[in-house]
Amino acid sequence: MTVGESAMHRVSMGVRPIRTRLAVTLVAYGALALVTCLLAPLVGSTTISLSRAFDRSIPFANNVDAQIFFVARLPRVMAGALVGAAFASAGVVLQALLRNPLATPFTLGVSAGAALGAILSITFGAALTLGPLLPVPLASFAGAFCSAAIVYAIATRPGRPISTSVLLLAGVTLNSFFSALILFVQYMGEFAETYRGLRWLMGDLDVGGFGPILSALPLIVIAFVIFALLSSSLNVLSVGTDTAASRGVNVARTQRLAFVSAALATGAAVSLAGPIGFVGIVVPHLVRLMTGVDHRIVLPAAALFGAAFLVACDLVARTVLTPVEIPVGVVTAMLGGPFFLWLLIRKS
Amino acid sequence: MTLQVERVAFGYPPTGKATQSFSLVDVSLSIQRGSLTGLLGPNGCGKTTLLKLMAGVLRPHKGSIGLNGRLLAGISRRALAKQVAVVPQETHPAFDYSVLEMVLMGRHPHLGAFQLEGPEDIAIAQDSLAATGTSHLASRPYMTLSGGEKQRVVIAGALAQVPDVLLLDEPTASLDLAYQMEVASLLRRLNRDRGVSMVLATHDLNLAASVCDSLVLVRAGRVLAHGPTSEVLTVDMIRQLYGVEADVRFHETSGHLTVVPIRHVP
Amino acid sequence: MAADPKKLILVAILAATVGGLTVSGAPVPTPTSAARQAPAIDTAPVTRIISLVPALTEMLFEIGAGPQVVAVSSYDEFPPAVDALPRVGALLDPDVERILAMRPDLVITYGSQSALEIQLARVGIRTFGYRHSGVAGVLQALRDLGVATGHAAEGEQKAREIQAQLDAVRTKVQPFARPRTLLVFSRLPQSLQQMYVSGGIGFLADLIDIAGGANVFAAVSRESVQPSHELLLARAPEAIVEIHATGMMATEGVLRERSVWTPLASIPAVRSGRIHFLDGSYLVVPGPRVGQAAEALARALHPEAFE
Repeated sequence: MTVGESAMHRVSMGVRPIRTRLAVTLVAYGALALVTCLLAPLVGSTTISLSRAFDRSIPFANNVDAQIFFVARLPRVMAGALVGAAFASAGVVLQALLRNPLATPFTLGVSAGAALGAILSITFGAALTLGPLLPVPLASFAGAFCSAAIVYAIATRPGRPISTSVLLLAGVTLNSFFSALILFVQYMGEFAETYRGLRWLMGDLDVGGFGPILSALPLIVIAFVIFALLSSSLNVLSVGTDTAASRGVNVARTQRLAFVSAALATGAAVSLAGPIGFVGIVVPHLVRLMTGVDHRIVLPAAALFGAAFLVACDLVARTVLTPVEIPVGVVTAMLGGPFFLWLLIRKS
Repeated sequence: MTLQVERVAFGYPPTGKATQSFSLVDVSLSIQRGSLTGLLGPNGCGKTTLLKLMAGVLRPHKGSIGLNGRLLAGISRRALAKQVAVVPQETHPAFDYSVLEMVLMGRHPHLGAFQLEGPEDIAIAQDSLAATGTSHLASRPYMTLSGGEKQRVVIAGALAQVPDVLLLDEPTASLDLAYQMEVASLLRRLNRDRGVSMVLATHDLNLAASVCDSLVLVRAGRVLAHGPTSEVLTVDMIRQLYGVEADVRFHETSGHLTVVPIRHVP
Repeated sequence: MAADPKKLILVAILAATVGGLTVSGAPVPTPTSAARQAPAIDTAPVTRIISLVPALTEMLFEIGAGPQVVAVSSYDEFPPAVDALPRVGALLDPDVERILAMRPDLVITYGSQSALEIQLARVGIRTFGYRHSGVAGVLQALRDLGVATGHAAEGEQKAREIQAQLDAVRTKVQPFARPRTLLVFSRLPQSLQQMYVSGGIGFLADLIDIAGGANVFAAVSRESVQPSHELLLARAPEAIVEIHATGMMATEGVLRERSVWTPLASIPAVRSGRIHFLDGSYLVVPGPRVGQAAEALARALHPEAFE
């Protein structure tokens, strides 16, 4: 069969080549993310005048509209995009690693560790800082790191593939254990700290500046690069570890890289904005419904869609009940619950 | 092309016992180009382990395995995957891949880190589908296929690697009679038309008799016998291997040996 | 874990219903009268009082009922005499066994602790339920508590004294223009996130009014508001007062916390440097020290009035 004949054959079978599909996906989802991120800072609880905001003649310190746009809204939208992309793509990678579409970025205990770190910092008020890094995000990331390290140590044996059941068990155990510790710490704390800890667990994208975003950005970018390198191996890996090995995939290395990069993205995102749930499972599922299951397409699409999704959820969170803001984690939960119900109904 | 296994030993890590229990103690065999070799033995004799060792998925604790004179350990996984392909007993993908996507994964060792499949890869995939008679299933989701269709698709995926050697682990274990015959004739055809060497681990003695030109009998981690089917598949060998008294006859109509088990003599 | 959907939704409901809490742990307030009892307050003599509400503990000691107090809540800090007293839990976790074991004849509870009140009523123990309701509620509670514990005259007198204190503050600051005021009572260190400020009702809001400020959230009928950066910029307060109940910070700490506001440069209070840090439990307990609190707040907002 010549290349030309096979191309025709291919078209007649209704399967578009992956290059086209990837290009179309990137353009479509990229446009969605871009439009969402451009529109979101224009909307908010306060009406501002864009012309005033961009008026250079008014000194920035006096320009309320500019401050609202550049200090309050823009960092918030950017944080939302970064965190949404991180959670969604980490979710995809962990689902491939655990060979389970129900895995979330929080399944392996990383966010429980991050939460414990943050709650400890909030409750015992440590004023620990490291340069531009603030105490709560720093403690949160330290917690995420410890948790991931423990799970990694339990689940890996040198040179051998990771047993996904051991990995899952280790993650679930750590989740329960850290959750118990969190409850204990909250109980021991003052009422105010307890409530603040609870509030932190609901997620908050209102970072009020680019500093926190810049601290999390390099870690998430590194994770994204590793995701890109892994995406074709993840396809084969999700068929089975032995199959993957015989197709030339370095299974042990791919699994370790997948875990580490997903933990990195999740840990950084949780430290920045708290453990915002449902993004890491709703977005991958929705994307797979639209683009198929090839990870080389699902990963970038999920990242872009996750960004748009979280920015949109945050928009709802901060405009629906002004001046009261709904925590963004509550909005994603309220969307996620019905989504899963719908999924269940659809399947049965 | 020769796949040489020399005095290989392999043991799985001990579970609570002090000493390691060895799954393979001392195995030597050699797979010649174009051969269709059957790997027979009772449960737990180490057949699957041997296949994994030959595929480079596991590393032997003692001895060595060589491909065309080069040690497997010295060949990169990708390079090895272009020469040796495995058809596992069961394949359960975690996601809903289409048949074509499953087969295209066989091109993975041939693609670079960020490389996507090109027209040539797609042509090879479609060729593999055609060779296994599954072209009409290309856009169907893999999970919706019947057992026989699934197995043929997996074989097509292995073929897409364009290997010199195909290792199959109990390829007909979960198939009904019709599918068994289908897969058997497919394997014979592939071996004959494409010159793909094959190693087939199986419990099905009649399948082995109908398809394989040589057999390796493995018992308790050692090679009991190794040679042409007609010489190795004897009543005495079967008794030694399985502890089963059987009747071995040449069947005129089918054109190969048949084995009928009579009684179990432990 | 927050990722667990059930827990998150439960937390959301919890957050929604207790969203108006102040730092002293008050339940959702209703601007009604303080005493929960039937019209006439039981005036039978009491000798063993247990108080679960720190504000009322302070009142008890102020009106001379201190010697009658046998146990206090886990959060009580003032007056120093309470340090020696046993603790019996608080709003969320009252230790009923311990309370009963101490054989009190009056237990002072939060108005929302209805289950506890029913339990105590069953064994014939009187309860005095209290609901936070602004400065007026504080004074009324002083009077009611005086009657309930046999110190009616002292209660009345104390209430009058505090009222006089408050009136004096009001008069002092009356000639001056009211700055738009933001009163912060809780936030994460070195961050403007998770900030809790006074809403339009409650005793903090009353204090702002007495001290001569114009509460930027006066129109919000909640005790507390969690403003986002955008809301802070939009409300543009001219004076910011941060109150911290716990022993606060050395000078570097204050400087560091002050600098957290710098990015929001368009806020008048930030530009003019009118960010005040006040420290002490008297600021957050709606009890007999409200007079002190009002004066401290007034001094911060109108230093010129106290020269």
